[in-house]
Amino acid sequence: MSRQLLEYHSVIGYRFIPGLKARVEHEAGGYLVRTNGAGFRCDREFLPARGPSRRALLFGDSYTAGDGVSNGKRYGDLLETMVPNLEVYNFGLSGSGTDQQYLAYREFARGIERDLVIIAVFVENIMRVNARYRFFRNENNEEVLYEKPYFSLGAEGLTLHGVPPERRPLREMDLPPDARSRIDAGGRFASLRLLARRLGIKDLAQRITRYNPVVEYNRPDDPRWLLMRALLAEWIREIGGPVLVVPVPLYQFIEGTSDPSCYQARFAELARDTGCHLHDPLPDLKAYPKEERRAFRFARDVHYTPAGHRALAASLAPAVQSILDAAGS
Amino acid sequence: MSTTILGISSFYHDSAAALVRDGEIVAAAQEERFSRKKHDPRFPRHAINYCLEEAFIEADELDAIVFYDNPLLTWDRVVKNCVMAGEPAFEQFEKAAASILGIKLWVQDYARRTLGCLGRSGRVLFTDHHFAHAASAFYPSPFREAAILTLDGVGEWDTTAIGRGDDDGIELAQVIEYPHSLGLLYSAFTYFCGFKVNSGEYKLMGLAPYGRPVYERIIRDNLIDLKDDGSFRLNMEYFGYLDSFRMTNERFDALFGGPPRQPESRITRREMDLAMSVQAVLEDAVLRLARHARRESGAPNLVMAGGVALNCVANGKLLREGIFDHIWIQPASGDAGGALGAALMAAHGYFGSPRRMSPGGRDTLKGSYLGPAYSSAEVRAFLERHGYPYERIEDPDGRARTVAQALADGKVTGFLSGRMEFGPRALGARSIIGDPRSETMQSTMNLKIKYRESFRPFAPSCLAENAAEYFDLDVESPYMLLVAPVREERCIPFDREAFYNNEDMLQIINQARSDLPAITHVDFSARVQTVHPDDHPDYYRLIRAFREITGFGVIINTSFNVRGEPIVCSPADAYRCFMRTEMDLLVLEDCLLWKSNQPAFAEAGDWRKDYELD
Ligand SMILES: [Fe+2]
Repeated sequence: MSRQLLEYHSVIGYRFIPGLKARVEHEAGGYLVRTNGAGFRCDREFLPARGPSRRALLFGDSYTAGDGVSNGKRYGDLLETMVPNLEVYNFGLSGSGTDQQYLAYREFARGIERDLVIIAVFVENIMRVNARYRFFRNENNEEVLYEKPYFSLGAEGLTLHGVPPERRPLREMDLPPDARSRIDAGGRFASLRLLARRLGIKDLAQRITRYNPVVEYNRPDDPRWLLMRALLAEWIREIGGPVLVVPVPLYQFIEGTSDPSCYQARFAELARDTGCHLHDPLPDLKAYPKEERRAFRFARDVHYTPAGHRALAASLAPAVQSILDAAGS
Repeated sequence: MSTTILGISSFYHDSAAALVRDGEIVAAAQEERFSRKKHDPRFPRHAINYCLEEAFIEADELDAIVFYDNPLLTWDRVVKNCVMAGEPAFEQFEKAAASILGIKLWVQDYARRTLGCLGRSGRVLFTDHHFAHAASAFYPSPFREAAILTLDGVGEWDTTAIGRGDDDGIELAQVIEYPHSLGLLYSAFTYFCGFKVNSGEYKLMGLAPYGRPVYERIIRDNLIDLKDDGSFRLNMEYFGYLDSFRMTNERFDALFGGPPRQPESRITRREMDLAMSVQAVLEDAVLRLARHARRESGAPNLVMAGGVALNCVANGKLLREGIFDHIWIQPASGDAGGALGAALMAAHGYFGSPRRMSPGGRDTLKGSYLGPAYSSAEVRAFLERHGYPYERIEDPDGRARTVAQALADGKVTGFLSGRMEFGPRALGARSIIGDPRSETMQSTMNLKIKYRESFRPFAPSCLAENAAEYFDLDVESPYMLLVAPVREERCIPFDREAFYNNEDMLQIINQARSDLPAITHVDFSARVQTVHPDDHPDYYRLIRAFREITGFGVIINTSFNVRGEPIVCSPADAYRCFMRTEMDLLVLEDCLLWKSNQPAFAEAGDWRKDYELD
């Protein structure tokens, strides 16, 4: 019943509708969404030339765009209040993969002056990077399947496919069987997850099994990681200047029900090999007491609450500050 | 310091929310528009979401949340007499009463769950039902002081209230209590004539001019004791609503020659004459109450609200009677308007926000365009997402000319433009429009687009400054709440006797009655909307363009929906309604869609089953 928030984009797949002011109904009451003239959920208009402030461009998915919380309560906006003289351009795009975020950079951000680019990789994004289709919940709360652009990794490097993506929703039954395996349903074992939720034992089940929600990071030579890694490396190379990569943890890692060591190792390797800055906020987030950590996500929605955003911003602020200071000196 | 108040009406009929900031009306909308369930009585969570969206504030920035009614009093009455609650509302109330929290806390709990919090005050305030109606009529009106008349079916225990408003606030001096109610009397006849209570009253009013007041004497002698001062008592021996789920009983049947008409069966002369008879009684009662209110209040102007105030035929009579210098009627006069009234009551009565008066001497309701708007970017995002072909005309004058030409060519057009109307009438923001000069347009639009009985005339929208060329009307009627005679020189006389003896309504309808046949009722009247350029520039521009092309500054305006469906809200609602009907053109802000260019519209199931007749 809320407004339509996204519009078709012929390269990225979609973006926010420019100039939007909306309130999205949500389990916690609802949240306010404002988008700028470029079609991103940012209170600032994107200006090519930098003013006296230091400027960071921030990329990510719904955790960065801030599903569930109003613009001002997101970690990107909070960073502006914690790091002096900083403006953050938020390019977060809900439901996107790192591949689409990279395309958003190419389409909208290349010509924008900045001191720092922050790439926030919600660790689950690796599934989206390896998907050609994704289910979304639209404004009428219906599940709709959309095609997305995607990259493949070959001997000559990355190749972009699926551009322009089909603008209309697809039906799963119309896809060939091999294509169906490339649908991202927003998490693995959707049906199993549903069952666990119904039984009310999800947390318990995860603790017992040490459920790993992102097996794609298990081995450094997993082709799915190799694709993700190639994308990030290419993007970092293209940016040229300072880049900060932030793996944004799933709640299972924050709450200690899953082991993060594999994805942590992969991002450490990436930073070592590309020379980008890396800030892993997980240790800071895990330092909070158990009850507070549970309150970093909503009762049902797994996105970060305002408290989760505050904690993430508090972890990030010193890292951002030190990169900016080093660049400025 | 700024004060922001959210008003809520709910659990009875047509839930709504409204938001007032420092006495200024920022937003108001009915829940049905979002939930797509007509007269939705449920807690208005979508309407509340919209109000916060329009104000662009967080729920915890609200200074107060105000409920339009005292649910304890209402529950008291509902327990004592079950029928008027209506089933869904009754169920909710039953749950509330069973809850150990008690009703007020239960309302509060609903609000907390919807909003995530209860604003700065941390609790819900409650107003009295008729005070909420009175506030919705007085505070937005253009009058510094005014007599107040609220008339409805029932709210809490009262059905009628007379009072006055001025710089010191609102005072209600006299009330008439349930079960004595003009609204319920009218609803009883609505039910008896085979229409739906709480929404079919408009049909009964539309039917009246086909009839003669042959039952008026019987009604006065048996059903209502109407005193000179307008006070009245109903004879409950004839009504069912105190002790059953029916409005009328066997004694009522006996009085009017048999059982009620079955819904959707043929309308006979009896129903036409009954409609005219009860209309005559109602008008007499309203005039007497108004005279009494004038004497008691000493005020030169009158404001009105409550469901009965939507009877625009009675309002037109009241205006022409000249009892008051000016009258102003709240267009959201049903219980939806209670949400607005409650918020205004709290703003001025509780928080002491100074009343805002319009410098131009007009009201402060903003044309009742208080609902959501959709930007051109949002419209295009919707159309592009679905691949629906459209033509964009950014120049407002060029667009108006194109649409006006289509109307003049006989095209029926769905028109979505600007903020949605608050209240039951479409006023050019969510309207279906057409050419009033056509003799067949009334039937065509009723049968091919609205899918409903065709005896009801359409309303005209005309430029405010040209109204007198077409109608005997010398005041503004921006909310379509006044019925006025079509100017005599435009009318085509016909044989009244033959008309009254004719049972075939369609034959009567298709007979031209004036040079504006589609909007002229059989009694040569019309329910007029005058359009002011400040209220809705695009709609004004369109009518002006139609005048330039045809010489007539009048178009047909009917609500953008099919029968039984809530008026459309979003571009998606509008597109769906457009494709389900035989409309030719759809205007979504600056985008034009021709039916002939659209891909086939596939839908699962039969949508007609979703909507009941009123
Ligand atoms: Fe009422």
